[in-house]
Amino acid sequence: MTRNDFIRRLRSGLKGMPAEDIAEIVADYEAHFDAAAAEGRPEAEVAEALGNPGRLARELRLEAGIRNWQSDRTPSSAWAAVLALMGLATIDILILVPIVLPILGVFFAFYVIALSLFVAGGFVAIAGPFSGFPGGVLVAVLGGLGLMAGAVALAALLTIFTIWIINALMWFGRLHYKVIEPAIHPADAA
Amino acid sequence: MPEVIETQLKKGVLGLCVLALLSRGDSYAYEIASRMADAVDMGEGTIYPLMRRMQSDGLVATYLAESPSGPPRKYYRLTDTGRERFAAQVSEWRAFVGAVEGILTPDINPAAAEADHDA
Repeated sequence: MTRNDFIRRLRSGLKGMPAEDIAEIVADYEAHFDAAAAEGRPEAEVAEALGNPGRLARELRLEAGIRNWQSDRTPSSAWAAVLALMGLATIDILILVPIVLPILGVFFAFYVIALSLFVAGGFVAIAGPFSGFPGGVLVAVLGGLGLMAGAVALAALLTIFTIWIINALMWFGRLHYKVIEPAIHPADAA
Repeated sequence: MPEVIETQLKKGVLGLCVLALLSRGDSYAYEIASRMADAVDMGEGTIYPLMRRMQSDGLVATYLAESPSGPPRKYYRLTDTGRERFAAQVSEWRAFVGAVEGILTPDINPAAAEADHDA
């Protein structure tokens, strides 16, 4: 592999990351080639010693995803980190998929339930007093507010569990870095 | 399984080795990578994900400095957090190695091993 091939494959693996991060990472590897060239090492040998650019890109992406998730706890950063984790796509992470997807499904269902409870509570609290709610006006208002409060509590609890699960996933992903694996490896040829 | 054990072992100490190299003086990634590649047989390219992680964990900081040839180089230096982490990991490592040695070498004097462990 030539220097240009290496950089091109690295770049295409990093696609989707912020442009300045990509520029910084590429500059690191370019500097590596420069330093090696100054020592008189042939380009192909340097590229080989660096390892598989696709795999390096996947690890760098997961690292960036984890960093975003840690500094910015939003659903989109969580989703990006999970996608980056799936991008590692080692066998043991693929084994995780049938376990994780149903869990995500259940969480989604619970979120929907919390949302509909909230809406139903609002409906009871507002419309109940005017439509002859059994038990009277006060019961309708309080019951409706109670439902809404319950829905908010459920959603908060779900959020805590979701954050916990995503953190556990990121921990698992980091465990599966191949950071140390020798650069020349039969799997690299694939 | 021996390869797996070796991989896990090396992965665990990689960060420690980088901290140790940097504790003796600032350095740039190529230099760190070539020293580590010789010593622990790692892919040179893996130093960069590791350095980025250490930087985001606040263990190292970077600055640009002139190089004798070509464009300025990005140097890494230990931060105060990095120094603390290094000291903590060194004592953890020494305690661990001492404990493993004690088990691997059955004829070692148990009292000495115990004293070693406490140290």
